[in-house]
Amino acid sequence: MSLTPYQIVAPVIALIAIVYAWNLMIRQKKSTWEAILWTVFWVAVASIALFPDVLIYLQFATGIKSQVNAILVTSIGLLFFMMLYIVMRIETLEQRQTRIVRKIALRDAGLNGGQGTKNKNQAS
Amino acid sequence: MKTIAVIPAYNEETRIAAVITGARGYVDTVIVVDDGSSDDTCRIAERNGARVVHHIENSGAGAATMTGIDAARMCGADIIVTLDADEQHDPHDIPLLLKPIMEEKVDVVFANRFGQRNRIPFVRRVANVIGNVLTLLATGKWVSDSQCGFKVFGPKAVKDIDLKMSGFEFCSEIVRETAKHRWRIKEVPTKVLYSEYTLAKGQSFAHGIQTALKILLRSFLR
Repeated sequence: MSLTPYQIVAPVIALIAIVYAWNLMIRQKKSTWEAILWTVFWVAVASIALFPDVLIYLQFATGIKSQVNAILVTSIGLLFFMMLYIVMRIETLEQRQTRIVRKIALRDAGLNGGQGTKNKNQAS
Repeated sequence: MKTIAVIPAYNEETRIAAVITGARGYVDTVIVVDDGSSDDTCRIAERNGARVVHHIENSGAGAATMTGIDAARMCGADIIVTLDADEQHDPHDIPLLLKPIMEEKVDVVFANRFGQRNRIPFVRRVANVIGNVLTLLATGKWVSDSQCGFKVFGPKAVKDIDLKMSGFEFCSEIVRETAKHRWRIKEVPTKVLYSEYTLAKGQSFAHGIQTALKILLRSFLR
């Protein structure tokens, strides 16, 4: 069985992602449930890469056969990931702003300036 | 054990005094987190004997709750009671929720508005079921009233809880924390009062869907 570069890279990335997810779970940053969800997702990605035939039913369902359609679908996939990245960035910025508001609130109230959660937030 | 009530509040000048007065009889200290209100919530809370922590910008119920929990920890809380500022929860139910914690049987107590005969609008019941199912999908844990703000945290939970979600999604994040830390939980049926005011202040259905999507998205992005 000859493997394409994609069929090698995708399972390797999936394996790294799965190890990373369970590592986060062991370090108590992810719950067991989330680690299982991620594992299912990445196993699916690796399976599709290694055994593309599993997608034959999708070909029947969507009717994608031509290369142009394939490019279109790939572009939508890329846009989806870009959108996901932007959403993640916005979430991070929102969290940062909230942390600032909360620290100022605690400091102004004569409390410990948010030191209680400082380390946890920095670590995450 | 030192018990502190945390009340996140946003533009609740007409209700906050009654909630503080009701809660004060059952806890040692009341902390009100004024989440950037543009009305007199802050001043009225102070006048009624609450310790007030003020957000300079409206940051959401989750952020206000976490600020309150942090403030309570710094004030030496062993037990934290959280309740809404819109009078939908009856502070007289606090002893009921405190009991399992005092007996050291559980780490977190969730109020269950659906556990006894309460007049709850149908839309709210449906929204709650959707919230519960999404919380189950995201956390793997079923709680009958996962979106209720009335809860009690025991010493173990007070020490370790860390909420990052700013909006109403924090309710599901609390369920996630109980799963993550393997805290023992109990659900206690409580009274709830839905008025026109409460319904107007709460989440709309569209907002609920937005919250639900955030819960799912967050569970993947984390």
